[in-house]
Amino acid sequence: MKKQGILHELYTNRILFLMLLPTLLYFFINNYLPMIGIYYGFVQFDFNTSLFNMEFVGFKNFEFLWKSGKLMELTLNTVGYNLAFIVLGNVLSITVAVLLSEVKGRWFKKISQSILFLPYFVSFVILSVIVFNLFNYEQGVLNTVLQQLGFEPVDVYSKPKLWIFFIIIFYLWKNFGYSMVIYLASITGISEDYYEAAKIDGANSFQRAWHITVPMLKNTFVILLLFALGSIMKGQFDLFYQMVGNNGLLYSTTDILDTYVYRSLRVTFDMGMATAAGVYQSLFGFTLIIVVNAVIRKINKEYALF
Amino acid sequence: MTGTKKKAISLMLTAVMSLSLFTACSGGGNGGSGNSGNNGGSGTPANTPAAADAANEQAGIDTSKKVELQFYMLGNAPKDLPKIQEQINKMALEDLNATVKFNYTTWTDWDQKYKLLLSTGQAVDLIFTADWTQYQQYAKKGAFLALDDLLPKAAPELQAFVPQEMWDAVRIDGSIYTVPATYKEYVTGGFVWREDLREKYDLPVPVDIPTFEAYLEGIKQHEPKLQPLAIGAAVDAALQDSYLDIKRRAVGPMQYGVFASYDEPGEPVSYWGSPEHLEDLKTYKSWADKGYFSKNELNETESSQDKLVNGTAAAMLNDNPVRYNQTSSRMKSLHPDWELGYTPYGLTNGYATPVHPIHNGFAIPKSSRNAERALAFYEKLVTDKRYNLLTQYGALGVNYTVEDGYYKMLGDANSNGFPREGMNGWAWRNPEFMLFEPSYEGVQKIFDELDKIQKPDIYTGFAEDYTEYQAERAALEQVEKQYLFPLMAGQVADVEAGLKTFMDKARQAGLDKVQEAYKKQWLAYLTEKGIQ
Repeated sequence: MKKQGILHELYTNRILFLMLLPTLLYFFINNYLPMIGIYYGFVQFDFNTSLFNMEFVGFKNFEFLWKSGKLMELTLNTVGYNLAFIVLGNVLSITVAVLLSEVKGRWFKKISQSILFLPYFVSFVILSVIVFNLFNYEQGVLNTVLQQLGFEPVDVYSKPKLWIFFIIIFYLWKNFGYSMVIYLASITGISEDYYEAAKIDGANSFQRAWHITVPMLKNTFVILLLFALGSIMKGQFDLFYQMVGNNGLLYSTTDILDTYVYRSLRVTFDMGMATAAGVYQSLFGFTLIIVVNAVIRKINKEYALF
Repeated sequence: MTGTKKKAISLMLTAVMSLSLFTACSGGGNGGSGNSGNNGGSGTPANTPAAADAANEQAGIDTSKKVELQFYMLGNAPKDLPKIQEQINKMALEDLNATVKFNYTTWTDWDQKYKLLLSTGQAVDLIFTADWTQYQQYAKKGAFLALDDLLPKAAPELQAFVPQEMWDAVRIDGSIYTVPATYKEYVTGGFVWREDLREKYDLPVPVDIPTFEAYLEGIKQHEPKLQPLAIGAAVDAALQDSYLDIKRRAVGPMQYGVFASYDEPGEPVSYWGSPEHLEDLKTYKSWADKGYFSKNELNETESSQDKLVNGTAAAMLNDNPVRYNQTSSRMKSLHPDWELGYTPYGLTNGYATPVHPIHNGFAIPKSSRNAERALAFYEKLVTDKRYNLLTQYGALGVNYTVEDGYYKMLGDANSNGFPREGMNGWAWRNPEFMLFEPSYEGVQKIFDELDKIQKPDIYTGFAEDYTEYQAERAALEQVEKQYLFPLMAGQVADVEAGLKTFMDKARQAGLDKVQEAYKKQWLAYLTEKGIQ
């Protein structure tokens, strides 16, 4: 075949490219054009002039990120929590999805599916109220029950280690129903033929689930994983902010980049510093997704996103 | 074949759901940016086809082109705002050939929205300013338009109406950036407590810290179910600033642990880490240990005023006379037999500072395209009785009536679409037109008492410029939240060690540099104003 120029390619498939144009435009306007704003991270913000006339200050705006010596802790917390969310979330939702798909009772299946899905719609603000009413020292449910049973009350809000579990538990409670439904949908798509063949070969239902359903979910899993990794530096701002709020006692284990940046810039609203923090987050997330994708590509080309 | 169909549907479902998951993630990332609060009065202003030539020629400004002014205020818009806006626009169109759109930010994340309004270059013509919205810093950074030349041209009447010393008081680096409110009030702090309980158990009237502690102790003993003192999550402002005010006569809520007393403002010292700081933190700790306030105060979301009204707390610090009065009448409407008491710190301290002109004002941001018209409109709002009454009290006969010279709301707080000062019009109050409710007498009595001991506010005119230490400032903010807040809330078992950790971390973050620069600016300000 003769090698053709890009113009020729554009010409031969012009209708197809024309159809692609709106999408390209959409992404260009909404996702690429705003990137000009990254430049705010490198200038001294000034009300009197336009972006490109502001004084260039290099990495000065990034300084506050490491000035408090917390950057490492924050990055670790952010990544750690997200890994826990991704791993535990997926294991839990795959397990439950597989179990639910094996359930024969239609009503039971529908009802438990809805019950698991519902917390997804609870707002984080409401979650924070629920949590506060559970754990608050003087009138919380937990301490009332403990005292009724004759135990000493526990001040949950001054024990940072405990919150690692609480945050993960509440995240799972709220979110796993959603990915479970996605898995359940993919399970429905698996052809019955496999199961029938396995049955004839004498596989029991556990073997069928382990050797057919789980491998068939790999594709969905990888896609969800890559999406999740892309936003690994973004944290779950609402969850952390609402549950921990102003309580500095808990920051050592619950502070993530988002909450840190939010608190820093709530008082000092400086466009430069806010942008710097955003750039740091995005670059880290970008690197991560490239690396993970490369690894997946190496293992199995078909599963890679790009 | 049903198999393929099923598979196709399932694939599609999977794809759509994962996609929405993806977008949900990327959207939720940046906590509450955007949304610059365009939720004020809905509906377009009445665009009556009034002819341009009908517009009165205003003193020196060109009104030949019809414009719409964007007016921004904090808080929630009253329900009847669209109707009021319509009436205002009818007059404004005639007087200035302009219409105005009143926008409100709501109180949720107002500070974020405020900052975005000023820094994104959005066209805003008039915006509220106050010390607590950082007027001084924004003015210093050049966010607002200097009004010195504009005033005589666009609003000569307003310029004459506001006393010269007030214009001078709001000057930042020699220029006027905001139109100050002229109504004289006191927004200084005071003790608020349950008078009925105090009488019932014969406890002392709180006038200073020892009597206040005795009151709290009495409540704890007699009403063990009641939380003696409500503070809330903002322990820095609600506990420490207030405590320093009454106990150490602070000149104002200074930043970064710098402290100066009202009597010796020229001698700022580092309060953080000092023996006094340790002593105060120990006091807070003892209050927490005795159960005067909750162990989980840092996670409290209910306001202290609400807790008083509901009867879940028995005292609070730092409320000003007007707010105390509001809390009191709200409480009385629910529990007629309860009483609320109040002692302004001023009576104990021997001086009270009337509100600084910076406390309420309106500025024109740099981004405004109709500065002249905006200022002319603001002049109308303040000095024209029709505009003023309409935007302060709503429509006469619909929202309120006047009885024996007093303001009377029609209907109740729920049914009335425009309560008194429903537009949060603190800045454009005009003392000549103001109407009060009878219950305001109590506030006026406090004001009269404070008038006898009034002294000028030294602190509020200070405009800090943190450009040179903004990285340290942001880092310090974090250290404060993480290590100092728990100390103030009495949640650190070993106060001395806790304070030491805090100081170490703060020094690491650059405390010394920040304090030094801050003190220098403060002294320069005092010299400039001739105080000392």
